[in-house]
Order: sequence, then structure tokens, then C-alpha cells
Amino acid sequence: MKSGNKRAGGKTGAVIALCVLLVLTIAAGVIGVTGLKGLPPRGVNKLLSWIPTTDVDNWKVEKTDPVTGQKYFEQNKALSLGLDLRGGMYVEYIASAPEGSSANFDDLMEGTMTIIRERLTDKGYSEANVQRVGLDHIRVEIPDVQDETVLDLIGKTAEMKFLDPQGNVIMMGDQVETATYAYIEGKHQISFTLTDKGRELFATATANNIGKNIKITLDDEVLVDATVQTAITDGKGLISGSYTQEQALNTAAQIQSGALPLKLTQENYEKVSATLGQDAVSTSVRAALIGILLIMVLMIVRYRLNGLIASWALTIYTILLFLFIALFHIQLTLPGLAGVVLGIGMAVDANVIIFERFNEEIRKGRSVKAAVRAGFKNAMSAILDANITTLIAAIVLLFFGTGSIQGFAKTLLLGVVISMFTAIIVTRFLMNRFVNAGATKVSLYTKVKTEEEVEA
Amino acid sequence: MKIKNRSGICLVISGSIILIALLLTIFGHGINLGLDFTGGLSMQYNLAPSLTDADEPLNASAVQNDAETALSALNVGTYSVTVQGAKNNTVNIRLKGFSLENTAPAEDGATATDSASKAEIQKLQSEFVEKIHDKYPEATSIDNVNYVGPVAGATLVRNAILSVLLASALMLIYIAIRFDLNSGLAAVFGLLHDVLIMLSFMVIFRSVIQMNSSFIAAALTIVGYSINNTIVIFDRIRENARKLPTTSCEEITNISIRESLGRTICTTVTTLITIVALCILGVASIREFALPIIVGILSGVYSANMINGYVWAFLEEKRRTRKASGKSAKAKA
Repeated sequence: MKSGNKRAGGKTGAVIALCVLLVLTIAAGVIGVTGLKGLPPRGVNKLLSWIPTTDVDNWKVEKTDPVTGQKYFEQNKALSLGLDLRGGMYVEYIASAPEGSSANFDDLMEGTMTIIRERLTDKGYSEANVQRVGLDHIRVEIPDVQDETVLDLIGKTAEMKFLDPQGNVIMMGDQVETATYAYIEGKHQISFTLTDKGRELFATATANNIGKNIKITLDDEVLVDATVQTAITDGKGLISGSYTQEQALNTAAQIQSGALPLKLTQENYEKVSATLGQDAVSTSVRAALIGILLIMVLMIVRYRLNGLIASWALTIYTILLFLFIALFHIQLTLPGLAGVVLGIGMAVDANVIIFERFNEEIRKGRSVKAAVRAGFKNAMSAILDANITTLIAAIVLLFFGTGSIQGFAKTLLLGVVISMFTAIIVTRFLMNRFVNAGATKVSLYTKVKTEEEVEA
Repeated sequence: MKIKNRSGICLVISGSIILIALLLTIFGHGINLGLDFTGGLSMQYNLAPSLTDADEPLNASAVQNDAETALSALNVGTYSVTVQGAKNNTVNIRLKGFSLENTAPAEDGATATDSASKAEIQKLQSEFVEKIHDKYPEATSIDNVNYVGPVAGATLVRNAILSVLLASALMLIYIAIRFDLNSGLAAVFGLLHDVLIMLSFMVIFRSVIQMNSSFIAAALTIVGYSINNTIVIFDRIRENARKLPTTSCEEITNISIRESLGRTICTTVTTLITIVALCILGVASIREFALPIIVGILSGVYSANMINGYVWAFLEEKRRTRKASGKSAKAKA
């Protein structure tokens, strides 16, 4: 009687625990799929809208470029999509040091990348990604943009020179303190100010060459070829040519950010249309949903109540996976998305190993409770070893992969770690609660064999 | 179900598949390398954007012919054309020989290359539209252009081989520590077998599938996942070898494979469900990734159940006889 009471008490606790977890899972799932509609996608609300819906338009919001007036799409949701899914452009450059340069190549690479980043940010492409690949490659990704004139902006060396009438260099572009776009007398111009040292150099040069021509060049293209009227001592100047507004803006940005320390040669170049990516996302999401449903049916048919537990754990796995992808700002790429879908199929593997061991213990005649304990104990070494070997492959991919493959490696890595958590800890929690709640009949878990069958 | 050692015949089957692929490669029918490896230019056109669902689809071979005629008139070297889209109105053009270094010599060093290359690609795009304009007045270029320089492919191949070898080496070390050296050798043997079978598939089905950088991700996924089957079986072997110290290695392998069979089948089916769904529903570039993975998964199940355990048994028996003869030699001395 006493033990019966105790079991009844444990039963209430277990049922409450199961109900709470069920409500939490459903709530997280629903919020994840729909997002919190009507609330601005900021802060917590943004984090809560992580799971992709099949309606890809929900993933983006239309914006207008402040400078050019062009419309483009910006992501609205917490999930960040790679270039191959969003559409956009990427370029890969090979960088080479100028002849006779003895500076540290790594420093020059860093400097070059910083300048490219500045140029892009100046133009409002704040989501652009500049990455070093291997020893001497620089990869630039600009999402949502299809306009190739951007390439002119980032790839130009932008070496600015001030030349005296004999063609001698007075000073280089690094003596320019600021260069800004100016709209004066109906013309798009660039106004610049010089550093203190630049002002002195320029003042001396102009004083010595009154009546002669001084040139300013950018990448050997003459920007200014003007006759000096008087010595210019205030360190200010205007560059006016027949610029369009955009050209003037770009040139100002290039002068301002300074010359690239390395010469860049374009190696790869890809323009991805946004529609192809949207197709890829929606079909992958559909494949994932169909896959999850079929797996759940299969697991429930084969493992009965345990299959239901595995389905529950798989739901939690999917929610957690997308939550962490959003939290760690992992970019979802095409192979990455495929990795997520593949991972769903792999995530139940640990469950399968546990349930097979569990069934073996039941066949040996153990009670359900004892079989749960023994099943986990016997399955653990296989689960650990199998997952660690997968982790090894994922880490190697992370180091050797470039671009979209790295995105795949990260989702693979995350998938392995989360599936270990859901398939071991969550599953064990659920199985124990179900046992405590009174689900101890063997037929709930596996086909009960009759005495004769066991003997045969 | 009775499990028997059929590893001999299985090795012959796998060996023949790999040999056929090798011969095909030697005689010039190797893997259909994609742009990522060969370098070149790919672009897409919609020849009839106004076609709706109600309209009759275009004749695919006619579209192919027209596009090829236009390309040969442009004198762009080797090209290949694929017709896509539900209405056969999209053509995907690949120019393997296209290299900016050849077509657009930079006039004054690196600075000219960027704008020159951009202009070169745009010129080619509009030239093609012009050539095909008579037959398809609505033809437009789709914003999907991919240019890969000639150096990138070599780097990709080097990284791919390096990463498979490095992953194999690390796994060999891990398994040798957790199990024993012979298990590690047998598992890595199976792993290389799976990668070779995947490569052979790419050779044999070269007309259906081409190899791009996503293949590297697929191969590494198989390296990581297909070894799971082997590990689960080896885990049983480790357990049974302790329980049944007098049973032969081959018999232990038979028992272990049978005991793991339920798990093997179930996990293989769940894994194949999602990846097959992805392959059927997915776009072309996803299929390029999904198809080799399916082959790799099947090969992984096959090698884990039919080959790897017996490779371990073979190595382990050899070690034991060596040890025994060593001991008896010592005893005699």
C-alpha cells in the first residue's frame, strides 16, 4: 500500500512534467514558425521569429538605397541567409604585393580588407562580407545587390598622386585628410582637405609653380590638371570634372579610404539571382517537413511509445537547431540548408541505438524501468564514438572549406551537438517520466513475444 | 537471419566498379567537372519570359540547337548548353575555356582587369542575345552569372584531397585509441572505399551529374556519417569480443552485424527519407549535392555490413597468430 502511494505521488509529478514540456514545445514551435506577427522584428521578438516559413517573402523587407534610390531587399528575420539563397554577388580577388615591397604580407592583407570594408560601408552595403581565403585570396560577398558598378568601387587600387609639372611626385594620397562629395554650382564635385604635412608640401609646390600645371591622378587617371594661379596655403581643394553624382561619390569614397596596399586581380565572380535561392529555400523546407513526418510515422510504427518520444525529441531538436543558428548568426547557405535537412534524418540515430538496446533488454525479460536504464548504459559508447567521428569530419570541413561549405560545416557541427543533447538527455527525461507516469506495460514499447516464440 | 562472411565477393564487386570508373577516366570519359573545378563562365537566359503555365512548352532539342548555333557563331571555344525550366525556355550556358586573362589583356596592369572583365562578360551576354534575337525576340539574360578563374579549381582539388586525408588520419587515430589499431585500419579502409565508390558514381553517371565544390562537402559528410555504421558494429564487436574470448573473430563479426541489423536498417531508412525528399523536390544545385550523398550512404551501409568487420577479423586473426607464434618461439627458446 505504501509503495503504491509513493508511485501515485511520482505519477502526478511525472504527468505534470510531461504536460509542461508539451506546452513549452508547442509554444516554441508555433512562435518559431509564425514569428510574433504585428510586433516589430527587434530585440526578443526578432530572436523569437527564427524558424523559416515556406513563405519566403516573409524573410525579407524592401528597403531603398539612400544614395542611388534603388530598391533592394533586406532580411527581416533573425536567420541570416547566404548569398546563394538570397541572391547577390560575390567576387574573389588574388592579392599581390607591389614589386619591391618588404612589408609583412599579412599586415598588407589586413589593411586591404579594412579599406574594402570601409568603401562598402560608405556606400551603404553594411551587410557585405569581406573575408580572407587561403594565403592570398580575398572574397567579397554583397548580398541582394545585382549592380556590377559596385565592383569598380571595391577593386580599384585608388593610388592618388599629386604631380608637379615635371611629373615628380609632390605627395601621395595618404596626405589627404578628408575627401567628401560636394554639389557646387550645379556640378558634382569632390572637396578635399590635406593633413598638416600635406598642406606644407602643397603650399611649397604651388608657390614654386605659379603659372604652370599641377596634376592630381588616381590610378594613373588624371583627375585634375589645373594651372596654378596663386600659392594654395589653406590645404583645401576641389576636384571637378564631368562626374555623375554616383561617380563623384565613389571617387570621394576611394580617396577617403586611401589606396589599397595590395594589387587585386579578379579571380572569381558570381552573380546569383534572388529567385533561384527562394526556390531552393522553399523546396528544402518542404522536403524537411515531409522528411520529419515520415520519420515520425516510421519511428512510431517501429518503436511505439518510444517512437512517440523520439518524435517529440526530434521536434525539440529542430526548434533548438534553428534557435542556435539564429543566436550564433550562422549563415544558412545552400549546402548548409541541405545539411540541416540531412541532419534531421541523422538526429534520430542515437534514439534508434538506445531503443534497439532497450528492446534487447525487454527480450531478456527485464522490466521496462530496468530496460530503460540498461538500454542507455549499453548504447552510450556507440553513440559517443559515432558522434565524435562525425565531429572530426565537420571540424576538418570548417578549416578547409571556403564560402558556403563553411556554412555547411557549422550547421553539421551544431546538428551533431544538439542531437546528442536531445537524443540522450531529452529522451532519457521523457522515457523516465513516462515510466513514472505508469507506462510500464511492455506492449506499449515493443511486440510482446509469447513463451514459445522466445524459446524458438 | 544468418550472417555469413561474403566479404571476398563484395570486394570483387566494389573493385570492379572502381576499376570500370578508372578505365573510363583513362580513356577520357572521366568525371564531368563543373565550373568550380575547370574555371570558365556560366550564364543563364530566359528565351521566352512571357510563356505562362497554359502555353505549350518549347521543343527542348530545338532550343538546344538554336543556342548552340548562336554560340558557335560567337567563337567562344568549348561550350555546353542545358535546357531547363518547365517550359524549356531557360538555357544554361557554360563556357569552360572562357578565361579573362586570354580574352581581355589588361592594358596597364591590374587596375584595368576589373572593368575590362566586367565589360567582357557584358559584351558576351549582349552578343548572345543579339544572335538569338531573330528566333526568340524576348530573350533576356537572367541575373545569374558565374565566372571562375583558372587557378581556383586547382586549389579546390588540393583542398578536397587534403581534407579527406586529414579527416581519415584523425579518425584512424581516434578509433585506434578508443578501439584498437586494426579497427581503425578497417574503418578507414571502409571510409576510403565509400569515397572511391562516390567518385566512381560521378564517373559512370557523368552525363547526369557534374562535380562542383559542393561535392567536397558531400564527400566529407559521408566520411563523417557513413563511418557511424562501422562504429556501431565495431562497438558490438568490442563488447562481444570481451564476452566471448574463445570465439573466432569472424564469428564475432557475424554475431555483431546481426545484432546491429535492426539499428542499421532503421537509421539508414530515416536518413534516406530526408535526403531522397530533398533530391526529388530540390533544385538542380541541391541535387548535385544530394545525389552523391545518397550513393555514399548506400555504399556506407554496404561496406559497414559486408566488408569492414571482416577486414578487422582478417587483421586481428593475423595479429593473434603472429603473437602466438612469437610466444611459442619464445617458449622453445
